[in-house]
Amino acid sequence: MRALLALRLITYLLVCAGVGALALAGLLAPLGTAIVALALLGNWCIDQVRERLPVRPALGWALIVTAALAIILDLFYLAQSILDGMVHLLLFLILLRLFRRRSLKDLRDAGFLSFFMLVAASAVTFNVSFLFVFIAFLVLGTWMLILHHLVSEASLAAGASPEVAAGGIGPRSPLFRVSLVAAAGTFALAGMMFFIIPRVGQATLPFRAELGRRISGFTDHVELGAYGEIETDTTVVMRVRFPEDLRDPERLPNLRWRGLVFDSFDGRVWTAGTRQRLLLRREATGEFAIAASRGTGPIVRQEIFLDPIGTDAVFVAPRALRVELRGGALGLDDMGSLTVPTPSARLQYTVDSELEMTPPRGLREGGPPAATAAQARYLQLPPLAERIPALAREVTAGSRSSYEAALKLNHYLSTQFKYTLVIKQESELEPLEEFLFVRRSGNCEYFAASLAVMLRSLGIPARVVAGFQRGEWNPYGRYFMVRLKDAHSWVEAYFDGAGWVSLDPSPRAELESAQFGPNLLALHLDALRMRWYRYVVNWSLRDQIGVAASAQREVMHWSAWLKESRESLRSVPRAVVVVSAVAVLALLAILWRGGPSAARRARGAGSPRFYLQALRALRRRGFRRGAGETAREFRQRVAAEAPAFAEPLQRLTAVYEGCRFGGRALGPDEGAMVEAALAELRRRR
Amino acid sequence: MRWVPKRTWRDSEWWWRPFRPRRTIWPTRDGWWCLLVVIGLGVAAINTGNNLLYLLVSLLLSLIVVSGVLSEQSMRGVHLEAEIPEEIYAGAPALFGALVQNGKRWLTSYSVTLELLARGGPARFIYVPRLEAGAERLVTWEVTLPARGRHRLAGIRLTTRFPFGLFVKAGRVMLEADVLVFPAVQPISAEALQRLVGSGTASARRRGRGHDLYNLRAYRPGDDPRHIHWRSSAKMEQLVVREMEAETTEDTRIVLTGTGAHDPVRLEAALSEAASATVHLIRAGSGVELVGRGIVVPLGRGPGQSRRILTALALYQPGALRAAPDTHARGWRSLRELHIELG
Repeated sequence: MRALLALRLITYLLVCAGVGALALAGLLAPLGTAIVALALLGNWCIDQVRERLPVRPALGWALIVTAALAIILDLFYLAQSILDGMVHLLLFLILLRLFRRRSLKDLRDAGFLSFFMLVAASAVTFNVSFLFVFIAFLVLGTWMLILHHLVSEASLAAGASPEVAAGGIGPRSPLFRVSLVAAAGTFALAGMMFFIIPRVGQATLPFRAELGRRISGFTDHVELGAYGEIETDTTVVMRVRFPEDLRDPERLPNLRWRGLVFDSFDGRVWTAGTRQRLLLRREATGEFAIAASRGTGPIVRQEIFLDPIGTDAVFVAPRALRVELRGGALGLDDMGSLTVPTPSARLQYTVDSELEMTPPRGLREGGPPAATAAQARYLQLPPLAERIPALAREVTAGSRSSYEAALKLNHYLSTQFKYTLVIKQESELEPLEEFLFVRRSGNCEYFAASLAVMLRSLGIPARVVAGFQRGEWNPYGRYFMVRLKDAHSWVEAYFDGAGWVSLDPSPRAELESAQFGPNLLALHLDALRMRWYRYVVNWSLRDQIGVAASAQREVMHWSAWLKESRESLRSVPRAVVVVSAVAVLALLAILWRGGPSAARRARGAGSPRFYLQALRALRRRGFRRGAGETAREFRQRVAAEAPAFAEPLQRLTAVYEGCRFGGRALGPDEGAMVEAALAELRRRR
Repeated sequence: MRWVPKRTWRDSEWWWRPFRPRRTIWPTRDGWWCLLVVIGLGVAAINTGNNLLYLLVSLLLSLIVVSGVLSEQSMRGVHLEAEIPEEIYAGAPALFGALVQNGKRWLTSYSVTLELLARGGPARFIYVPRLEAGAERLVTWEVTLPARGRHRLAGIRLTTRFPFGLFVKAGRVMLEADVLVFPAVQPISAEALQRLVGSGTASARRRGRGHDLYNLRAYRPGDDPRHIHWRSSAKMEQLVVREMEAETTEDTRIVLTGTGAHDPVRLEAALSEAASATVHLIRAGSGVELVGRGIVVPLGRGPGQSRRILTALALYQPGALRAAPDTHARGWRSLRELHIELG
């Protein structure tokens, strides 16, 4: 392949990688991506026949001016944001450079400008696909820079064609290997620098926050059956890992992710009534204190990565004690819901929670707690059919305590009713009455609403919680993957001595275990995504300090080990130590002297590289040159045994003798001929 | 003539050695853009706290580091041995050469450029795209020095923009040597030739390729059969060959008259004439002596004498104080004289 053609191809691929980054970041809609792809294809085609095209500068200028006017209009009036306008301008400039390509400089500029597409994408995306585009860009960019350098230097020197002079530019050429090594080295070094560069800045929201879609159920109100539409969506929206390396986290009891709490029910819709919000103050440690520990369960630290789902809720395992949230403020309402002031693009926070135990500790025997003014809101009921409280009384008959009554109701719902996502209106009754007495099947909201209403009808304060159930355990990344389909609703009831206790009447676990099995590829991919979020997107100064501290610990550990080793070495006779050291040094010297140059000497010092390559190719075919065999003898032997190799080997041998014994260098024509003969040797069987 | 690095005052200072840079590095225009983008992205990364911007900054910084490592790999172990021509004549292109050797055991050097520096003019470049481990390449170039006398060469150095063209890495400047430029040697004009040869040729009493018989001797293998003297061979019943006398012009004294202080153009032309005559006469086998104000090069012949006279002519300064010696006085040999007026 000619060097200039290769350079053009790589530059176009580089631009394609940039366009891919923009598309993945959502800065280019599918239609826009298609238009840009078509424009690139058109440019490429024009490039192939540029010399033969009639020159019509007027047409070219008309096109450019029209496009420039459109871009200006877009930048100031049409684009959604300044970033979108700048992206359009960038694409215009790149296409213009490629369209008006006159020299190498235009190709180089297009390549450099495509880097800014990556910059633009980095401002709005955190997706792991950015990593793949980044790697592709690095490999292509490295090769483009090397090729550009080679072609421009060769054109200045006006010597042999660059591909011949540099010993080839194809994927098997040494220069391409150099490029791959450079790309790998750059990648490794970039990774190292990325983790080392101090994060002195304050993390703020990206230029254009990804608000994501608004999920029903995580807004101010939730209608019965609203979760039905998302409970089949397998998109992972939250990942929870346990930084303190818990043993068997998947066996932790009552693990759910609590979000919003609703106290008011009108028979069809749950709403959060007049809740009082408090903006929490950050403590000196940088954490927000939520509640004090009561010693009723194990304290578990969770690190949570929440994707944007359009809600201001902060999901935590109940009961949250402390929250560490980088940047921004944290609100707490009187029902224990944690919120951020604005729905952010992405949240990462660490929570210490005191998990609930079953049965709850500190529970006091007796009936419903005395209703206080504060708890009256949790006993509010809409006009209900008489048979609902009657059913509650019937199920709980004979209960000795309110907690026992609640357990009976919970058990009744989870065993006598069926969990389903297919909900059809079968009568004119109110939804709850229809669920309890007609359909007897529904999703988690029906179960939670029924339990809450029946508890309230018995005088037990209850409220409905919207959040996520535990999710799927990913053993490769050791974290829980919480999907949209894990959106869940359950009940919190108040009992004297124990406080608010979670009750979950939905029998959905059986349904899901029958539906889904673990997908290994998906788990691996998500583990990669998790590491990307954890170690790249959310890498912080705190992480750097943590790594530095652990490195310091390691150094101290090793220095102690060295000290011990030195002490133990003192017991070894000094002569043994000296002899061992000399032996090691001698071995190293032998290895060094017997390296590749010795091997080269054995093969024949001064043999041109192309002849060695030919010998290697023939060796693969079973022809090994003997120690005392001359090049001509070897050629004759190979020609006799395999006539197909005779002709290329004859050409190579002639050039070899000229170079080896005539002391002359390969000419440009000879270089091409040698490459062709080598290719023939490698191809023929 | 092999060039040996000239020792400077810095070489003898022990304290300077650790600080003397082996290479210099400077960004190209693309390199400056790259650095500007690094700074801009760095500021943006700090301001936004966006880790992906930090990643891109790291990428650019790594690219710069890798560029430095690969260019160093390309330059390291590459030795340069410069060759200066024996004789350089004013106004005539002189062929300089340099042997570029890759002394590394394993690694190929890519894209090395030999930069030929020029005083007051643009540098020239000789591009070596690839130099395999252990390989060497002779590169040559022509230099035309316009005037006679001592000249200091601007030097040469190895540079590379490999691998990305972002930085120019350059080795130390070599060949900053003083060279002596002889006066221009022109083809002898017909008139001058007449003056030189007009006095006739004389035989020199030594073997040569002239026309007069010098000696007869027995044939030895390798002798030209055309030189066999058949009559003597028949007489002596063995092969006998002729040996001829060498022919030469008469030994000549070139006398420079005047000082040349008033007309530099005339002076240079006269020195060039003297140099041309010297070269011609010495090639013809004649002995040549040079005499002028402040110059006396005694009679001699052969290439050594040619160099002595050309050196004297190259270094001639019109302001010489001493008068030309009187060649007609006692003690001076009587030679055919060629007078050249310096003006």
